[in-house]
Amino acid sequence: MVDHSKDPLLQLSAALASATASAQSSVVAIRAPRSPPLSGTLWRNNLVVASEQVFPRADAAEIVQTDGAAIRARVAGRDPGTNIVALQLESPIEFDRPEPADPALGALVLTFAADARGAPLVRLGIVRSLGPAWHSRGGGRIDRRITLDLHLSGGEEGGPVVDAAGALLGMSTAGPRGRALVIPASTVDRILPPLIQTGRVARGWLGAALYPVALSDAVSQQIGQDRGLMVLRVADGGPAAAAGVIAGDILVAIGGTVVGRPSRIAQSFGPESIGQQLELSLLRAGTRLTLNATIAARPSR
Amino acid sequence: MRVALVAGDPIRHQDLMAIIRGGGHAVVEHHGEADVVLVDGESVDLHGPPAVTLGGADSGQAGVLPADATAVQIDAALLAAAAGLIVRVPGLSSPSFEALDDGEAPLLTPRETEVLAAIADGLSNKAAARRLGISQHTVKFHVESLFRKLGAVSRADAVSKGLRQRLFEI
Repeated sequence: MVDHSKDPLLQLSAALASATASAQSSVVAIRAPRSPPLSGTLWRNNLVVASEQVFPRADAAEIVQTDGAAIRARVAGRDPGTNIVALQLESPIEFDRPEPADPALGALVLTFAADARGAPLVRLGIVRSLGPAWHSRGGGRIDRRITLDLHLSGGEEGGPVVDAAGALLGMSTAGPRGRALVIPASTVDRILPPLIQTGRVARGWLGAALYPVALSDAVSQQIGQDRGLMVLRVADGGPAAAAGVIAGDILVAIGGTVVGRPSRIAQSFGPESIGQQLELSLLRAGTRLTLNATIAARPSR
Repeated sequence: MRVALVAGDPIRHQDLMAIIRGGGHAVVEHHGEADVVLVDGESVDLHGPPAVTLGGADSGQAGVLPADATAVQIDAALLAAAAGLIVRVPGLSSPSFEALDDGEAPLLTPRETEVLAAIADGLSNKAAARRLGISQHTVKFHVESLFRKLGAVSRADAVSKGLRQRLFEI
């Protein structure tokens, strides 16, 4: 008889199974109209979060627990900027909320999803990269950049991601080419209160589609910078249009700050920016021009 | 052909309206009167006229295109869907949550950007020259330069690498 109790592989396997057992009560399936089955994370006993980018345009959905029981839920709010949709349950679900934890590079993680009947689906991976806070294309600020060495197929995003101890890192999200990202638990906790209260997260809006361009040598010498943002389109009735910005203008400074990385610009269009006056410094047909815009709230999609 | 348009974002609405009209189609208000419905984002009622979605999930609608589909692709998909065909893009993955691109790749000049925007709208070099009021020879020069900067192998590749990834709305 061989003693298996000291076999590291079996110990690892037992640890993963135990982490799975403790985390799986927070996994739910979501049945929404006109949508393939989706996965979600029970965040509070009356609240489920899921991936906004795959969630259909719907006001209500059905939450299916791992034991197959279904509960009605109302869409309380959605934020494409952080990829979070919040679903308020009609009746609470008892569950063991995993403790939050910080991710460690190279650490083992488990991602959870649910099939249409609510049965949990598990994947094992490692934390592939860790980075500082970042901005999504939708303008949302995500507290840390966490990527996993996993690919998520349709319906698998939106579930919890836990570490080998079963502690909660955040909600899974499909990034470029299906690569798994994690929306950190701290970001979800920060976004939920305004999301539930108002149904959305307000962000500043200029109403312009911008494109980074290189300035010619003559122009860069004259104004002391080598790049600008070309306005490709302005939204009718938006703040940029109201300020007199037209397509073809090249923005060189916004609010007195020289334009640089798109993520830096996104930072100055947070919720607190709405209503602020902003000085736009731009080049039009070779002439420098200053216009004043008032930042509005980004219209909901 | 009559097309109904569903797009919440004002900039997208303007763009898509221009693409539909550019294809010689009429935009109608009610889905019931439409031959085909173009939806920016999520899918619509499967019982109405055939729908083409941009950037939405595949839930069995007639056409599923990525959010960054070109004008040529959108027009072709609308015609195909109205004719009862099913349209899918090869290798189209599910929606993807992406970062604002702070890429360090070489930036295009304003003129190259205008030429690229014309390519994205499906214009030929000749048509781009007419739009920008420059010679066809100059357009060709800019196209070669922007292909080199972006490492693009085709016009679609240039649009995807050069325009969709860098363009941002604020």
